[in-house]
Amino acid sequence: MKKNLQKVMSLLCVSALSLSMMAGCGGGSTGGTTTEAPAATEETSTEAPAAEETAEETAEEETAEEEEAEETEEAAEEETTETASSDGESTPRNETLYEAGQQWGTINDWNPMSANSNNGLALSANESARELVYETLFMFNALDGNLYPLLGSEYSWNDDQTELTVTLNTDAKWSDGSQFTAEDVAYTYDTHVKYQSSQGADFSTYIDSVEAVDDATVLIKAKVENGVAVNPLKVTSMLNTMYMMQKAYLQTVEERNGEDADKVKQDTMEDLVHTGPYAPYISNDQKAVLQRDDNYWGQASSMWGKLPVPKYIAHTIYKDNAAGQVALSQGEVDVCQQFITDVQNLWLEDDLPISTWLDDAPYGACEVMPSMFFNVEREGLDQKEVRRAIAMAVDYEQIIASAMSGQSPTFDEYPRSVVGPTDGERKYVDFDAIADLQWKNADVDGANALLDDAGIVDSDGDGIREYNGKNLSFKAECPTGWSDWNASMEIVAAAGEKIGIDIQTYFPEASSFYDDMTTCNFDICMWSTPGAGVMNPYSKGMFYFSEEYAKLASNWSGNFGHYMNDDAEAILEAIPSETDEAKLKEYYTELSRILLDECPAVALMYRPTLFYAVNESVWTNYPAADDGRNIPPTDCTDGYGIAALYELELVE
Amino acid sequence: MKNTIKQIFHSGKFLFGFVIFMFILLTCLIYPIFVTADPLQMIGQGNFFKPGTYISVEEATLEKSYTLQIPKQFSKLEMVLDVETRAKIQDFLIKQAGVAESEIDVTDAESLVSLWKTNYDPNTKYKGLTTAKRKALKRLDGQIAAAMKESGVIIAEKDEEGALAQSKVIKDTDYVNIKDVSKKTFLLGTDNFGRDVLTELVAAAKSSLKIGLLAGLIATAIGLMLGLLAGYVGGLVDNIIIFITNLFTVIPSFVILILISYSVGDKARGIAMVGIIIGITSWPWTTRSVRSQVISLRNRDHVNLSKLSGHSMFRIIFTDILPYIASYVVMAMILQISSGILAEAQLSMIGLGPATTKTATLGLMMQWAMQYSAHLNGSWWAYFPVVILIALISFSLNLMNTGLDQVFNPQLRD
Repeated sequence: MKKNLQKVMSLLCVSALSLSMMAGCGGGSTGGTTTEAPAATEETSTEAPAAEETAEETAEEETAEEEEAEETEEAAEEETTETASSDGESTPRNETLYEAGQQWGTINDWNPMSANSNNGLALSANESARELVYETLFMFNALDGNLYPLLGSEYSWNDDQTELTVTLNTDAKWSDGSQFTAEDVAYTYDTHVKYQSSQGADFSTYIDSVEAVDDATVLIKAKVENGVAVNPLKVTSMLNTMYMMQKAYLQTVEERNGEDADKVKQDTMEDLVHTGPYAPYISNDQKAVLQRDDNYWGQASSMWGKLPVPKYIAHTIYKDNAAGQVALSQGEVDVCQQFITDVQNLWLEDDLPISTWLDDAPYGACEVMPSMFFNVEREGLDQKEVRRAIAMAVDYEQIIASAMSGQSPTFDEYPRSVVGPTDGERKYVDFDAIADLQWKNADVDGANALLDDAGIVDSDGDGIREYNGKNLSFKAECPTGWSDWNASMEIVAAAGEKIGIDIQTYFPEASSFYDDMTTCNFDICMWSTPGAGVMNPYSKGMFYFSEEYAKLASNWSGNFGHYMNDDAEAILEAIPSETDEAKLKEYYTELSRILLDECPAVALMYRPTLFYAVNESVWTNYPAADDGRNIPPTDCTDGYGIAALYELELVE
Repeated sequence: MKNTIKQIFHSGKFLFGFVIFMFILLTCLIYPIFVTADPLQMIGQGNFFKPGTYISVEEATLEKSYTLQIPKQFSKLEMVLDVETRAKIQDFLIKQAGVAESEIDVTDAESLVSLWKTNYDPNTKYKGLTTAKRKALKRLDGQIAAAMKESGVIIAEKDEEGALAQSKVIKDTDYVNIKDVSKKTFLLGTDNFGRDVLTELVAAAKSSLKIGLLAGLIATAIGLMLGLLAGYVGGLVDNIIIFITNLFTVIPSFVILILISYSVGDKARGIAMVGIIIGITSWPWTTRSVRSQVISLRNRDHVNLSKLSGHSMFRIIFTDILPYIASYVVMAMILQISSGILAEAQLSMIGLGPATTKTATLGLMMQWAMQYSAHLNGSWWAYFPVVILIALISFSLNLMNTGLDQVFNPQLRD
């Protein structure tokens, strides 16, 4: 009986549907049916699908349940992240340290082997590596140039500098609770090499093997040529630049990607196992937050003896510099890694509790030199007179005062050379010996005379000098939106106008600039020297002269203009194995002499590796130059600068 | 013709717009005659010097000074110790130095300072102070010391051995006559490159007007041609033209503008090129409105008469149709000029305008002011005059347009 009723109802339903359709198509010829039909469908439709469902239920049951389970899981996940991100109180302000200027988009991966990671919270594997999530064996301190123990407790070279022995901290543990061992170190290195990550490719030229001697001892064997290690400096730098990964976890990653190199390098590693004090917590297009791991091994007395103070490290994703700067001045950001125009006005005029590393200009710890490279393969720029004339005519003081807003020492205070402005590097150069090669600021007359003497003159009267009958016309490029660099290039272009060389500025998107720079497809481009590190000032010498870099197919490291000089190359080969300071000084002075004489590249200013401005509305006791704590101003995140996190205090 | 012009100038709106526009135009022409300096010369070494007259400090100290007994209305100390500073000092004395609150009298500057001097030592690290506060107190100490100092600044010179020898004492009653010393006035301060904003602004207005005029002329010319053809010939020609016009109307012209400017590259991007690019992307609406006007005209009796007389198409278009829509075309062109100027500003704002070192344009000035966050630093002079000028130019042009409309449009005539 019931079944019959259902049949009748479903028939009714179908007829009502078709009727209403016909009525709709017919243009409402029959007024009566149109009004009634919808009512009928409403009634019947509630039952008809139910009948169908029971019939198919058994078949779909399994899959549906699975789907449902997945959905609820997803929903739950979404909920937690959503409440956390939408609810401002989810990370209490007095437990959260806010950073700015490091992360500019949704984090795309947590993979230290990735070539295109944008992760500014966990991954920054340079000399002062970011130690929040992953950790390196040792931490570099740019202030004294020393390595401080982290996962490793001691390291020593054998006498002929071919083997580096590293003792590990036996307290070190992974975030899953397992012991950190020498096997992990060896496997991390082998994986980098096996899948040819950029670090793997780089280090495998200098390191022969990394072996686990026992659980707590690692032996790093350097590549040896003619009984001498190729580059012991580079081998040492593995200690503070390579993030350690867990062997067991790496094997899982390899397995799930079928050991395919591209896939392994592109794995997002969201389920990461790490040793660092912070773990990923929230990551979306609004902000990225790390949460403290309260079981962090570093609270052992052999390491820090305590946990870092802030429970969360948060980074709101700002649209641009201006947004970050506003947030800093309103106290929404505690540590700001951004260039701020006239930063001193924040405390002098606006009376905000903001300070920088130094109280006066240049405000930061300057150690790198953004430099312009001339492409010596371009006609005109292959002439050293042209390069030197451009270099002489540039108004560096204007660049420093306006483009850099005074946040750099001048070249009068720190004359040009291959080394940076820190004492640790300057001791390697004899500045009296190269004094006659220095030029005075904005020496337009000198530049004009130099060009005239070289016979590079304007013969067709259009105001632009010719070389081989062609106008000297070049494009000076750097990425768009890098305001201080853009302005510097404009000032270079203005100098060109004064000496009859046409220089156009060209500011493409960063990605196409990278293409141009790394493949030597530019006239004049701008890039920064490596910062302080165990390799310095050697890495700066390499940056300016290395033929090896120039021969790379995709060159991110230096000598972008393909300048080749056999003398310089010979010196670069001799430096790594040289230990005599006097000899080293001779070498670096000679490199500086070549740099100033030949001008393959010209430093435009000095600059900190990281900008550093802190707001003390919530947290205080940040590193400052005069506090005597020897903690570098690396935004409380990089290298030994992370020590600052353990000493932060809340403002009373 | 004479009558029409007379009529136009009787319109208050047109006259007002015309006066503003002519004022801007004349300033652009006359100012460079008096101020011959290169508008792009980077004079100031630093970002955003505020408006005012800058006098040479060296000359001022060396120049003959006049003693003026101007009664001091305030003491230097009172100037340093405003209410907030006093509160800060009190706070420090109680919290860090442990002075009892009863001993402190914030209204008495002298006693407050003596308490400060006995209790504050710039080389001590006081507990419970943030770095920012510690540094602020250090600066305050310096200010108090300067204010307490007896009148007189000593000028000393280095002799051959490098020892300092006193050469002059400057007292607080010493004045120099501003005419005696070299000075430089920046009425609108300097920009982030240290360039004089006023001089740059005038040069920028000039090039923006050039770009606007060029863009307006080109856009109107293209729009008029296509509109006349489409409207008069009709049929297939009309269909094709209106199809293309619709295409251009649907795609936002600014997007095309960006794409073209980007592909042209920096090298070729001068004033003329930017003007042309803007011109060839902003004609569609002129085409559409001219076309509809022509359609309503083409069946008028005089046009038919011309046709019967065997006049050529071009003659009919130029003698029988164009004069009737001329006033409209002029008005459209004024609007095109105005939007051309705005388009240039927009283009330069995103870095696709002319080269910074070659020309000054209003958009470039805005772009650099934004890049160096003038709007956050309170350096209003770097961007506000530019905004005002852009607004004034397009306001005056629009006003002239409305005025013309009132004269020529019978429906609006009062």
